[in-house]
Amino acid sequence: MTIEINGTPHDRTPLPGQCLRTYLREEGCFGVKKGCDAGDCGACTVHVDGTPVHSCVYPAFRAQGRSVTTIEGLAGPSGLHPVQQSFLDAQGFQCGFCTAGMIMTTAALTDDQRADLPRSLKGNLCRCTGYRAITDAVNGGSPAVCPAEGAAVGSSLGAPAGPQVVTGTARYTFDLDVPGLLHLKVLRSPHAHARILSVDTSAALAVPGVEAVLTHKDAPDRLFSTAQHENEAEDPYDTRVLDEVVRFIGQRVAAVVATSEAAAEEGVRRLRVEYEVLPAVIDPALAMLPGAPLVHGDKGIAEGIVRANANVVGELHAGIGDVEAGFAAADAVYEATFRTPRVQHAALETHGAVGWLDDDDRLVIRSSTQTPFLTRRAVSRLFGLSRDRVRVVAGRVGGGFGGKQEMLVEDLVAMAVLRTGRPVKWEYTRSEQFTAATTRHPFVITVKAGARVDGLITALQLTVLVNTGAYGNHGASVMHHGCHETVAVYRCANIRTDAHTVYTNTVPAGAFRGYGLGQVTFAVEQVLDELARMIGMDPVTFREINVVRPGDDLTAPGAHVPDLGIASYGLDQCLDRIRAASSTTDTAPDGWLVGEGMAIAMIAAGPPGGHFADATVTLLPDGRYELAVGTAEFGNGSTTVHVQIVADELRTTPDRVLVRQSDTDVVGHDTGAFASTGVVVAGEAVLRACRALRARILAAAERGPSEIRCLTADSVAGISLATIAPLSGSGHFDGTPRSVAFNAQWFRVAVDPDTGELRILRSVHSADAGTVMNPLQLRGQIEGGVAQAIGATLAEHVDVDEAGQVTTTTFRQYHLPTVADVPETEVHFARTTDAIGPLGAKSMSESPYNPVSPALGNALRDALGFRLTDLPYTADRIWQAIQDHRP
Amino acid sequence: MQVPAPFEYERATSVDQAIGLLERLGSSARLVAGGHSLLPMMKLRLANFEYLIDINDLHAELGYIRLSDDEVRIGAMTRHRELLESDVLASVLPIFSDAERVIADPIVRNRGTLGGSLCQADPSEDLSAVCTTLDASCVIRGPGGAERVVTMEEFHVGPYETAVADNEILTEIRIPRKSFRTGSAYAKVERRAGDWAVVSAGAAVWLDEGRIVDARVGLAAVGPNTTGIPEISAALRGHEPGESLYELAGAIAARSCDPVTDTRGSADYKRHLADELTRRTLRKAVERARS
Ligand SMILES: Cc1cc2nc3c(=O)[nH]c(=O)nc-3n(C[C@H](O)[C@H](O)[C@H](O)COP(=O)(O)OP(=O)(O)OC[C@H]3O[C@@H](n4cnc5c(N)ncnc54)[C@H](O)[C@@H]3O)c2cc1C
Ligand code: FES
Ligand code: FES
Repeated sequence: MTIEINGTPHDRTPLPGQCLRTYLREEGCFGVKKGCDAGDCGACTVHVDGTPVHSCVYPAFRAQGRSVTTIEGLAGPSGLHPVQQSFLDAQGFQCGFCTAGMIMTTAALTDDQRADLPRSLKGNLCRCTGYRAITDAVNGGSPAVCPAEGAAVGSSLGAPAGPQVVTGTARYTFDLDVPGLLHLKVLRSPHAHARILSVDTSAALAVPGVEAVLTHKDAPDRLFSTAQHENEAEDPYDTRVLDEVVRFIGQRVAAVVATSEAAAEEGVRRLRVEYEVLPAVIDPALAMLPGAPLVHGDKGIAEGIVRANANVVGELHAGIGDVEAGFAAADAVYEATFRTPRVQHAALETHGAVGWLDDDDRLVIRSSTQTPFLTRRAVSRLFGLSRDRVRVVAGRVGGGFGGKQEMLVEDLVAMAVLRTGRPVKWEYTRSEQFTAATTRHPFVITVKAGARVDGLITALQLTVLVNTGAYGNHGASVMHHGCHETVAVYRCANIRTDAHTVYTNTVPAGAFRGYGLGQVTFAVEQVLDELARMIGMDPVTFREINVVRPGDDLTAPGAHVPDLGIASYGLDQCLDRIRAASSTTDTAPDGWLVGEGMAIAMIAAGPPGGHFADATVTLLPDGRYELAVGTAEFGNGSTTVHVQIVADELRTTPDRVLVRQSDTDVVGHDTGAFASTGVVVAGEAVLRACRALRARILAAAERGPSEIRCLTADSVAGISLATIAPLSGSGHFDGTPRSVAFNAQWFRVAVDPDTGELRILRSVHSADAGTVMNPLQLRGQIEGGVAQAIGATLAEHVDVDEAGQVTTTTFRQYHLPTVADVPETEVHFARTTDAIGPLGAKSMSESPYNPVSPALGNALRDALGFRLTDLPYTADRIWQAIQDHRP
Repeated sequence: MQVPAPFEYERATSVDQAIGLLERLGSSARLVAGGHSLLPMMKLRLANFEYLIDINDLHAELGYIRLSDDEVRIGAMTRHRELLESDVLASVLPIFSDAERVIADPIVRNRGTLGGSLCQADPSEDLSAVCTTLDASCVIRGPGGAERVVTMEEFHVGPYETAVADNEILTEIRIPRKSFRTGSAYAKVERRAGDWAVVSAGAAVWLDEGRIVDARVGLAAVGPNTTGIPEISAALRGHEPGESLYELAGAIAARSCDPVTDTRGSADYKRHLADELTRRTLRKAVERARS
């Protein structure tokens, strides 16, 4: 019996146990995605005889004799299906990994269902957009923008990859057919801390199809950090590809490489490992106590660990002014301790990579990464290969949020390729994503602050404990960053910070949108809110009195790279918007408690210590331009902005700009798509490349660099561009100096005292991003950041039990916000032009996240009359707190 | 690990043929209806079977909603979507559409079945709570066409365990109708829309001349099985409905349930919700019975 796929009969019999999703992908339908493999996310939605189904929980056999439509088959002969067109028009996607499923579900909705999207679209999860753009798409977006020559910057140009995203033809990490591919699976540690005494591989090797088993004996005897930074000294070298000692439940013990996933898994099940179980420390508060088990007792300063004998990876003890005198001068002092939990990035595309040797025997790794160039550097060093013998490429990346600023898979894939000489693929399952990728760093933050009745903050004191888990990747940097902009945004003469990042035998934390700012902002902004209440001042005025102003130095305790300054200032405009929000009205259900709250946040555009980008723009013989740039695209939209810059600088239209990107072969270097640098660093390199090329084009027509007017899309001073092509220009930017961007968030909430349910009645966000390069996209970034933070504030938590085991391992247990859970957020932009950023732009990718949870905390405080200090604010906790505060 | 163990696949052509297959293959085989509970468990290797017998083609035989004077009969293969969209159910047993509106999403509802829901016997499963509330009985068919009828209490042996033997199929649910004014309602507190219940409650009341002749409350997610609470029925019978009665019922619900603290909430919170939702659904059910 055959299965008809998009009108064509397919005869191949499904494998026993195969689900329709893998069958369809094996038949070449790469548009059918895997987000969870358990019926929870909708990314795999296809139609069977016209009815949408989750193909991951649909036995492939059941499709025999039926007709299956995937995203690839949705468009008719006359062009895109109307739903595809409206997703394209409304730009109802960012990374696009959820888009095929969204479109397939939407295409089958009845009118009644369309009218009730919160209920009818809730089976499709999106981690990027915050759903507003998707809702607009479902309701029929307004047509796409086609800017004229020289008018691209500032327009809402759609993402260049849009047409591929909505047709399922965009190629993500695993969307390629590699003949002879082997599959890799790992055995993970069942112990929080143990020494591996022996690994018996014989039974695994006897499984038909198993080609190799890799253990710590095969791994290079070199240490590295999974964290990827330009400046390698930022992270301790405490990790091995496969280690003899395992330090958290879920750490790699051994890998099995086989001709099929099933054989590799069977091989893993047959490995016999003998462990010597070691004492473990799970609670970060206990990690620094004398006698606590040491996580990396065998290492020290040489590996970049400050005090390995006390589990301290990094610490900061510094002050400015005199806090005691500051508190003495205060009329009101408030102190509280706040806790933020582990949260998972939950990008819909899991971690993974495919590696092979190319025709020149070069090692090629195709990975879901934000840092191809740094990963190349790390892989080449681990395996003693020169850099030109390694190529790292990223396809389209299905969401990152910082989680992919990490080398979690490429090292092992490289090792397997080098060992077998064959192509090897390793794709994390959703459960591995929870147990063995990284999480947000859990923080405990105590803030004490004092203010005078006239509103002046007299002292600020921070005591911070960061749990980095079993490895120190990003641990110290997240702590330093978290303790910087959060206080530097205030003019305060007396500040004291004492912070530690400690190891525990738990799943490692890593980079995550906001990079520590979200956690510390959560505490600082709530303490300031309480102070404002104590002195009887409204929170906006209180901020206005204390925030930094143009011309101020940005100061915070500790040594800081001095290249950060205020190169444009829109925080005052942001605060004006927040004040205006407060004068609106909303109705809440009877008996519910209503409250309002706000918070602000500042973020540096780029990391301290350099972030490098190269770009090359080439005029092609057909008059089009090709841009080569290193930074990866995972839905953050930097590619769109780069195209806009090229189009305007070279006076052409965006459709005549081709982009090659995120491939170590296309440019010299790029530090990576992290630290909010896609526009301000890579974009600046693109701008410089454009200007270099423009000068050469004008010179070719014997015109000076200022005679830009003689350049058109086809000619320069009347000479056809074709006659002077090819011609290239290159640009480089080293990421310094750096400016700052600002965000402010306001909420009105209502709480049902009988169930603890919290409902957001109104959400307003204002942002100072400098020149708005692309309003639609910027709005999308902000909405997505706000939505992600709402999830982390109200619902999400990765739980780790006393033994150190992660217990939230599927989307059924870990709650991503659905369309029903995210309110629409009003987004306002300040009008500013930055003196540093390209064409006046600043960054706006991480920062919308940061003021959200304290603003919700403050609104909840306003509604309840008391403050909740521990995230997340789930209904049961709110209800419990109400009970505990009953007189 | 998300590759399920390899399994053989058979499509059932009739109920008795499926029972024949089950008898031959024994405990190595499992029926698959919608597959929305079974296949994720197999992928996570929480369950392994060598044979899957797909009963979707039995929809013609087992997918129905039949109303008679003294009962409503619903076939085990009736899908969530059909329960949601049925006008008959909406008019006589609105508790079904209340519940279906908050179960999963349209795609899951397109395939998931009443039988699969009940047989999965997940303690937070909504339709089991509905059937418990309605005092439903379950028709189980075995080899040689033998049929037995069990109550919901007998049906649910424990979490994920039912009275259905390896060689049997659940074919039908029967819900008694009484000749009184009747109303029913369902409510659920979920962590997010379409999620499994933190706690949910169903209520049904039968009124005669303004007094409660009978009332039933069923709770999900507050104990090993979806629970019916006879003490509530006893306390309400013969009384005129009103706030103080709902409060009493709520208090009994809170006292009688047995929740555990987990990621969905603390035991105290769930106990409180059992109280709150019992009151809310009884109030609604009475309102409907009166209108
Ligand atoms: C994302 C998601 C969200 C969900 N949310 C909810 C929710 O909020 N509330 C809720 O109640 N449910 C929820 N569900 C579960 C959903 O209702 C399932 O469809 C249902 O639990 C199982 O029905 P099924 O037909 O898919 O059963 P299957 O998965 O096919 O079968 C389940 C079990 O029942 C057995 N079985 C099935 N039919 C019979 C029969 N006739 N006789 C004997 N044994 C049988 C099978 O062998 C299997 O062991 C959710 C599911 C998903 C995927
Ligand atoms: S991959 Fe199928 S629902 Fe998530
Ligand atoms: S665009 Fe929806 S998950 Fe990325």
